[in-house]
Amino acid sequence: MRDRTQFLLLIVALVLAPVLGRPVIAAEILAFAITAVANNMLLGYTGMLSFGQATFFGVGGYVAGLMMVHWNAPLWLALAGAAGGCALLAAAIGAVCVQRVGLYFIMLTFAFNQMFYFIAYSWSSLTGGEDGLAGIGRPAWLRDELRFYILVAVLFLLSLAAMKRIVDSSWGRLFRAVRDNPDRAAATGHDVRRLKLLSFVIAGGFTGLAGALYGLVYGIVPIDSIHWLRSGDIVFMTLIGGSGNFFGPVIGAAFYIWLSETVSLFWDRWPMILGIVFALVVLFLRGGIVEILTRLAGLAKRRAAA
Amino acid sequence: MIVLIASQLINGVVTGMLYALVGVGLTLILGVLNIPNFAHGVLFAFGAYFFLAATQAFGGFWLGLILAPFGVALLGGAIEYLGVRRLYTAHHDYQLLFLFAIALILQETIVLIWGPVGTTIQPPSYLAGGVDLGITRYPLYRLVVMGLTTAIVVALWLLLTRTNIGAIVRAGIESREMVEVLGIDVQKVFLFTFALGSWLAGVAGSIAAPITGLTPSMGFDILPVTFVVVVIAGLGSIMGAIGAGILIGIAQSLTTIWVPEAANVVIYLLMGLTIMLRPQGLFGRR
Repeated sequence: MRDRTQFLLLIVALVLAPVLGRPVIAAEILAFAITAVANNMLLGYTGMLSFGQATFFGVGGYVAGLMMVHWNAPLWLALAGAAGGCALLAAAIGAVCVQRVGLYFIMLTFAFNQMFYFIAYSWSSLTGGEDGLAGIGRPAWLRDELRFYILVAVLFLLSLAAMKRIVDSSWGRLFRAVRDNPDRAAATGHDVRRLKLLSFVIAGGFTGLAGALYGLVYGIVPIDSIHWLRSGDIVFMTLIGGSGNFFGPVIGAAFYIWLSETVSLFWDRWPMILGIVFALVVLFLRGGIVEILTRLAGLAKRRAAA
Repeated sequence: MIVLIASQLINGVVTGMLYALVGVGLTLILGVLNIPNFAHGVLFAFGAYFFLAATQAFGGFWLGLILAPFGVALLGGAIEYLGVRRLYTAHHDYQLLFLFAIALILQETIVLIWGPVGTTIQPPSYLAGGVDLGITRYPLYRLVVMGLTTAIVVALWLLLTRTNIGAIVRAGIESREMVEVLGIDVQKVFLFTFALGSWLAGVAGSIAAPITGLTPSMGFDILPVTFVVVVIAGLGSIMGAIGAGILIGIAQSLTTIWVPEAANVVIYLLMGLTIMLRPQGLFGRR
């Protein structure tokens, strides 16, 4: 499938989503979808597995929430603050983490995630601690679920368009060069660490924005938002959708929310299902849902030809 | 004040030794198989819960201490044999993600079997009291833990330096290719290492249980700490992991005296500092 067809399918899905399900759930999916696509810029395009993206998802929620609760900041400023703040935070954390590659990088992002979790947990006067940061009200013109969904959908499209431009640009080509052969990228005169940091900062910024939007969905930033298990969920969404495709993680985010919303209704221990699906995907279906779809499409094409 | 500092210092060493045991297990698996074992924390938790089950079923503290870690070693061996083994040809990201998935499954299994609410376990009555250390009275069981962990570390050191299998494991950490070239069955070495690393996590979980109590999330809580141990020590450094474990145990318990809120954060600051000043870790060479 070409980019254009995929993009048209995405628009159709965006229009249908609030009709088929509750607009708030659709908005929640889109917030996670931005996060997963940003994570895929790291994983799929730059070859960096981060196990700490919840740091930015959570901090984004806290920054926007605190700006709105304490300073009465307008929505746009809170969202910009979350994105900008998380990009800065990603620059600081990334500067330490990109010093090391491979396993080290994964473990460092993971450990820093836990550090920020503990900061959020202990600093309860600011963040609400274990109870989460509650009381984040949407402005009056956004109280209506559908209107809020439309705003999230617009920001989602803008974010995806921006990230698509980045991965198609010369930066994106360099990211892939770093992924495929870091030594060669370095040998041709490119600063591999700086490119990785760049990718990490961009992903952190968009993840912060997504976290801020997520906080607005139910008016609360739960402490789970910043727990490292959330980072695992983000990796799950990215892989289950398909990290080889730009739009794959969007499908992954939708699948994740659908799974959690349906299974959690009748079984408290639903993360076990998550684990089983995850294990099966890693063992047998590394291309994710996108791989199933392309296989089916190939099958249909062959049948049509015969 | 001196008394408080002294007893916190001993507390730090005790917790640190436990961190060290879990960290050494992780280091072994990381060094030989080249995977950060995301299921390592859950194996620690299984050590505690198997210990609970064994002491309830057979009533013996020492019998439980032998059976529970052995059960965890079997569990770890099964994870390697049935799952991780299929992924050696894949990118190491997939091995790690598989282990994360296993961690989720095992975590939920704990809740299914033992329930979501935590529980406690008492050390045997002859180990329950306190001892007079001169400056302060100190719980006997914690001293026993210190002795046990020291004995295990010494035994591990003997295993790694005085036996054939230990030499092979150390060779595997240095150069996996070289071990293969020598005609040693690497698959068996992987299985043994994974089981040994799991056993260490299990034994730490078992002896920690009477101190920390048992909660289903205990595995997920200790996993990041274990990673900090390995990063501070340097990848693949076994004795370094023991030093780093004790170091962060002490750092944590001393911080508790002055800034209790920061006790959980301080170890990550130490980790960040280590990476910036000495990226290969305190004891690492690579």
